[in-house]
Amino acid sequence: MSLLAETGGTSIELGNEILSDVYSNIEAYYSARVAKYGATPLGVDWSCQATQSFRFVHLLRICDFSAPFSLNDIGCGYGALATFLAMRYPESTIDYLGLDLSRTMIRRARRRFSSPGQRFVVGAASPRIADYSVASGVMNVNCGFSRSIWEGFVATTLREMRRTSRRGFSVNFLADATHAEMSAVPSVESLYRTNPEPWIRYCERELRCCVETVDNYGMNEFTLLVRYNQIAAT
Amino acid sequence: MGSLIKDSTTSSVLDQLNKRFEPDELTEMVALQKEFRIFSAKHSLRQSFALLGIVPADQAERKRWYRFLDEQLGTYKSDLANVNGHDRVVKAVKDGLEAAQPLPVFFGVHLASEDPRVTVTRGPAVIFSFVTYSIVSIPITPASLARQQGAEAAKKRRTEKSKK
Repeated sequence: MSLLAETGGTSIELGNEILSDVYSNIEAYYSARVAKYGATPLGVDWSCQATQSFRFVHLLRICDFSAPFSLNDIGCGYGALATFLAMRYPESTIDYLGLDLSRTMIRRARRRFSSPGQRFVVGAASPRIADYSVASGVMNVNCGFSRSIWEGFVATTLREMRRTSRRGFSVNFLADATHAEMSAVPSVESLYRTNPEPWIRYCERELRCCVETVDNYGMNEFTLLVRYNQIAAT
Repeated sequence: MGSLIKDSTTSSVLDQLNKRFEPDELTEMVALQKEFRIFSAKHSLRQSFALLGIVPADQAERKRWYRFLDEQLGTYKSDLANVNGHDRVVKAVKDGLEAAQPLPVFFGVHLASEDPRVTVTRGPAVIFSFVTYSIVSIPITPASLARQQGAEAAKKRRTEKSKK
């Protein structure tokens, strides 16, 4: 049973030492990926550009594109979302900030982009409050940590996204694997998979937000669109 | 394929294609096609396949694969009148994914000497499954045969030249 289930969706705190360990393992993992595969979807563990972009489509449903806004991209990698935004929403004014734990990734991203509306920084949490935050695939590869530690990392990340987002944030998760998937993919144990319910509960109870779940979009995963709960705030 | 790129590359690309379009991946492929119109008259197969990450790993082979898709496949005939081989593949995949009952796609090859056209049929594609596929078959000339044909053609040219 996961810590999240045991605690019924209440606070999950990781000590600073453990959290630093998690961050440095994530940093090492993704730096190695981009060194091996370059600034490509494989370099950030997605199979191809089409599926990577498809995830962006769903995550960006949190944003209101009818007016300019600011966006934090947590775990931005080499900046694929920045490319996607420019291609899909060329008319929109978006103040984009990409964050990643991997210096190598950020170096790659900076090499690809240089416009004032697109900045990239190394780090786990955003140094600024933006209208929205998105995180694609950040929760998926558990880098060998136990489920309880990894869920502590997930909870910390969600909390930080909540703290640094003015209007809402979105995040995707791999859904629980089918038996066939568990048999077919030997590395499946290194992937964090979950049901939506515990994290919906966490966002509603702990972060006091409204959650919309997007699933059944052809992939064995789901996206949570998390909005600031106006009722809870008043 | 065949004479243009290595046998191992042909095999690898077919494997990648058949994994991407197999029944288990169908829901995802249908969703991707609906969102991005990956296969359409607006995009070349090179673009569409690249978007799906279907490319040879080897850089030199990748160039030959692109040359096959960009330059050669369009010169092939197909089983549809006035539709070249390249456009026939695009249409087959597009139709399969956009159908009311979408079909997985199986990519295979056949000898160009038996039928020089790109063909598309429907039916079971593999002996261990009764699932109906849209089966796309590309004509190929094995490299050894292509070399032999090339040598014979050169010899014929030389003979004719010496007669003049």
